Amino acid sequence: MSLKHDIEFKLNGITRRVAVDVSMNALAMLRDVIGLTGTKYGCGEGECGACTIQVDGVSLNSCLMFAVDCDGRNVTTIEGLANDSKADALRSAFVEHGAVQCGFCTPGMIMQADHLLRSGCGGDAGSIKRGIEGNLCRCTGYKKIIDAIASVSGAPS
Amino acid sequence: MNVAEKKARVIEPDTLIGKRIPKMDAPEKASGKTRYIHDINLSGQLHGKILRSDRIHALIKSIDTSAAKALPGVHAVITAADIPDQRPIGVAKDHFPLKVGRVRSERDEIAAVAAESEEIAEAALKLIKVEYEDLPVISNPEDAIKPDAILIHPEPHGADGSHEHLKQGMSIAHKGKPDNIAMRFDYVHGDVIQGEAESDVVIEDTFKLHYVTHCCMGVSGMIAEFDSSGNLLMYSNTQVPFLHKREFAEYLNMDPARIRIIQPPIGGGFGSKLDIYPFEVICLYLARAAKRPVKMLFTREEEFLASPTRQPVLLTLRSGCKKDGTLTFRQVHTLHDNGAYTSWGATTPFVMMQTFSSLYRVPHCDYHTAAVYTNNPYAGSFRGYGNLQATFAIEQHMDMLAEKIGMDPLEFRLKNAQDAGETTGQGMSFKSCGFKDCINTAAQRSDYARKVQENVANRNAAGNIKRGVGMASMLHVGGGAKIYPSDGCGTILKMDDFANITLITGASEIGQGSETVLSQLVCEELGLPISAVTVVNNDTAITPWDVGVHASRTTFIAGNSAIGAAKKAKAKILAVAATKYECAESDLDLRGGFVIKAANGEAVVELSKLLRNLHFQDKAELVMTTFYYEPPSVHQDKGFKGDVSAAYAWGTQVVEVEVDTDTGIVKMTKVTGAHDVGRVLNRLGIEGQIEGGVIMGQGYALTEDLMIENGVMKNPNFRDYKLVTAPEIPEMDISFIESMDGEGPQGAKGVGEAPSICIAAATANAIFNATGVRIYELPFTPERVYRALRGQTPKLYWKPWKAN
Amino acid sequence: MTELKHYFAPTSLDQAVECLKDGDVTILAGGTDLTPQSQAGRLKIKQTLMNIRHIPQLSGITLEGKEIRIGALTTITEIMEHPLIRERLPVLVVACDHFASDQIRNAGTIGGNICNASPAGDMLIPLLVLDACVELASMPENKIYRHCMPLSTFFVGPGKTRKSLCELVTSVRIPLPAEGHVAHFYKHGTRPALDISTISIGVAGTFRDGTLSNVRVAFGAVAPTPVRASQTEQALEGQRLDEATIEKIAQIARDEVKPIDDVRATAWYRKEMIHNITKRILSHVAQA
Repeated sequence: MSLKHDIEFKLNGITRRVAVDVSMNALAMLRDVIGLTGTKYGCGEGECGACTIQVDGVSLNSCLMFAVDCDGRNVTTIEGLANDSKADALRSAFVEHGAVQCGFCTPGMIMQADHLLRSGCGGDAGSIKRGIEGNLCRCTGYKKIIDAIASVSGAPS
Repeated sequence: MNVAEKKARVIEPDTLIGKRIPKMDAPEKASGKTRYIHDINLSGQLHGKILRSDRIHALIKSIDTSAAKALPGVHAVITAADIPDQRPIGVAKDHFPLKVGRVRSERDEIAAVAAESEEIAEAALKLIKVEYEDLPVISNPEDAIKPDAILIHPEPHGADGSHEHLKQGMSIAHKGKPDNIAMRFDYVHGDVIQGEAESDVVIEDTFKLHYVTHCCMGVSGMIAEFDSSGNLLMYSNTQVPFLHKREFAEYLNMDPARIRIIQPPIGGGFGSKLDIYPFEVICLYLARAAKRPVKMLFTREEEFLASPTRQPVLLTLRSGCKKDGTLTFRQVHTLHDNGAYTSWGATTPFVMMQTFSSLYRVPHCDYHTAAVYTNNPYAGSFRGYGNLQATFAIEQHMDMLAEKIGMDPLEFRLKNAQDAGETTGQGMSFKSCGFKDCINTAAQRSDYARKVQENVANRNAAGNIKRGVGMASMLHVGGGAKIYPSDGCGTILKMDDFANITLITGASEIGQGSETVLSQLVCEELGLPISAVTVVNNDTAITPWDVGVHASRTTFIAGNSAIGAAKKAKAKILAVAATKYECAESDLDLRGGFVIKAANGEAVVELSKLLRNLHFQDKAELVMTTFYYEPPSVHQDKGFKGDVSAAYAWGTQVVEVEVDTDTGIVKMTKVTGAHDVGRVLNRLGIEGQIEGGVIMGQGYALTEDLMIENGVMKNPNFRDYKLVTAPEIPEMDISFIESMDGEGPQGAKGVGEAPSICIAAATANAIFNATGVRIYELPFTPERVYRALRGQTPKLYWKPWKAN
Repeated sequence: MTELKHYFAPTSLDQAVECLKDGDVTILAGGTDLTPQSQAGRLKIKQTLMNIRHIPQLSGITLEGKEIRIGALTTITEIMEHPLIRERLPVLVVACDHFASDQIRNAGTIGGNICNASPAGDMLIPLLVLDACVELASMPENKIYRHCMPLSTFFVGPGKTRKSLCELVTSVRIPLPAEGHVAHFYKHGTRPALDISTISIGVAGTFRDGTLSNVRVAFGAVAPTPVRASQTEQALEGQRLDEATIEKIAQIARDEVKPIDDVRATAWYRKEMIHNITKRILSHVAQA
């Protein structure tokens, strides 16, 4: 069968050891091997952002990353933001602003928004729009998502 | 006890209606905790995969599954030959889930595998050998109606000339179709010849509408499991669980009572889950064959290839008016590319004819249409249901007629717009109608009249950026649509000892926010906060019957049903309270969690306390009510006439664009919308519906294009099928016209489909306003616009055609 | 047919080039192209998958004499945000800004973008007009051998380069632009990023007294590889950028390219865009 490799990495603050198929992507590892289903499959080609996670402090598409490449790194998924006050504010803003409809893009959108806010994104609508250009949403038309992110960015609306 | 304490508490009036209420399911979704069908795994579950045709149109000469069956980890491999009792599916019953003897499109299902893992299932598919004999491909509906066209559904017979079992049924799949016409509609009111004779101006143009698809962010999926007694449990994202339960039973030749459908939260619907598709039936066959739960999920590529599309339409429109601006007649011929099989897309003319006949007052109207079979992907239902296509043509002609007679386009529209109280040639009766308010509001807020003039004056100014503004309006059903024997919905309402409500509704939540709106309506009746409600809406073993999510009907129909159940509960509570406190029921009301005195709001008793008293007494009783709401709409007659919906929604949208004449790139800068929604129930939710719909309309107008060449899909991915991204969205200014519909729940009407409908039409008018060039074909991609601007686009003309 | 048999994550350049010796190795950098291509079966991973992430020599942006060296593992985001690039090579920042999405910019590397050799590769056009060279390392004997190849000769076809199977791209080197150097990049699309360009254009040179010299022009998505436009360059060299000259040069550019029809555009439209945008860029240069 397919080649396996043992990797060790920090997942949501906790060290994990896991044997993964070398050809597997990080998305499949998170969902199918580890069982964290908050990270979504939308396209498998980095075009939709539903699978956005954070690795070593930056956001990226987990479908575009080999699972073995998580070795030695610090990985955060939507589940890892559960006890984070900054992320809490972002989640509440999404709820209060009506930024969630079917919700399928939401975890990826929040992971990306969280990265934007932590990396000093301007907080104006223009930079937020550019910041989430890699996250597709078919329900909301983005406006309420942009409003939600702006509301916690600290920038004047 | 001192005097002050004895003073009764007064509960101030409050309302939930019109407030900004966050969706009840949003916190779970925002935490990544919501379990969609993709996230559900049953123990012992196998993974199903489908082998699709690698030919467009061909006879299947042989299928060899032996190597696939021998692969370790494979539990079942099935082809049509393994399912002798296959029944045809689809709106016209014109195809089998697993194709028999012939493939007719790229997506056609030939075989399926259930295996221990997705990887093994995929490996097994590669081991299946299929021999084909290619047939000529029809990739264009105009070719399909030529007299010598090859038949897409000829009388079936196999390679040996016989397929006796196929001839036993009466469906198209069994007996074939002697021509390529899947469905026809002919509609007439008045006399268009007379209408044309009365006209001062007559114009005729052909419009061409393209393929687009839903692109739900969550791909399609299904999990099926038979228990040891043969009962079937399905996890499915269908929008119509109760109708489908019956259909699935037919396909499996089993008792519908033994089928239970659980609907997990859905990653987007937009009409795509309105029909049963082959993969769902195949998943059931696999589960039956493997005697294990089978989960089947599409890849994104498969989602593009094998989920339905919006129906492409070729449309020739002839319209006339008098010099004074009175519309005289409208004659429409359309040719619809049905694809290889018939799903709901073929019935979109039902909705299109409402726009042709009734959006404006037209004394004479003819509409003839044919949906024809080709080897292309087949079209289903999609938010707006034909209305985007119809409105694209009608609203361009409104501008063109106005220009011909030298009338202001706004005045021309207002002169012909419907009013409340009118009954149209098609028999639609407008009880509430804010159409003129919509036109006036959108025009004023966008400064439409001034900008139209200014842009025309600037057309020849220097610079490559030209600004344009365009308007379009729409009419859509807003109170359900009586297509089936019932258009109703049931509710079961249960109150517990703590005055919490369990609202069990037939209506499905597909992300649109129905459970929140239904909770609001119930709480409004019972004077409770929205946190008091738990909604159960996803299990056919629990929920009462409903016809399904479509036709923008859920708020209206399920809303009235929920109110009905709540009113019954309220009556029961007040009756008990009246007896206990020795007063008339009419003296009491419910508010803020209390029974109060209606006259002054004084609290009489806490509602939870009263409910406990009721429960824990000698003759214990519980507050549990049921209600079934059937709207006062009627079925259309054979001529498609009748008041099919209990209410109608109206809207006007003004689109502003910047056209770069160097590149043909059209930037949508602003959309000003005014929608007659009856009444705003949840302001946050309705804004979300409108904004999302506007952007979906923007995609239809500018960026989305499912390219099919000789039956082959060229861009089954988000790289080249371009959904609108965040930086592209226009500024949006949305107003709500509250016409307070008499039948609607708290006065509300349906709105789900409305916002996408006008955008493409208004964009076409805006591009004309900017450049003086009218483009009749969608989408307005840079190259299409650039060609048109350079005079490189031959005028489209499709000669109206009528089958004998 | 070889099956994937080994996974190797070297921590030094020596280990990496040593591993490359047998040639049957697929190199993994940011993974943004390799992962989806291999998952979809469009690319088959060779016997060894080598992850070069942990090789320190491949990172960083440095000024080395009169060259800026960008390590092959440098991500697009790192390039976009680096002060040296922002100050000295602003045209690269423009290209980075049009590159895919934030998530992909955070993961995708400059070395990967070069080796993927897409005819529409976003970074390749500005690098071509900046006279960039690709630095390659290999181990023919027991010592690392490095050499540089001009990017203009590096590409052979879609996904194909002159890099041998035993070589690793270690950096891209860009000469520091001289005084008066101008460089422009235009990517045609309906959105700022997340788009495969229909065409892209890079123009660079020294602009003095209304004339452009030392001209570099490159086009993307009009040929099997990103290409330098030699006829356009020659026609432009030393010319005064008046309106008539600009029009003439735009026509030469249009006639020089031989694009194809595909799902994104027809050849005709691409040629028109080459004309119109070349004209736009040159007018912009002339007015500056």
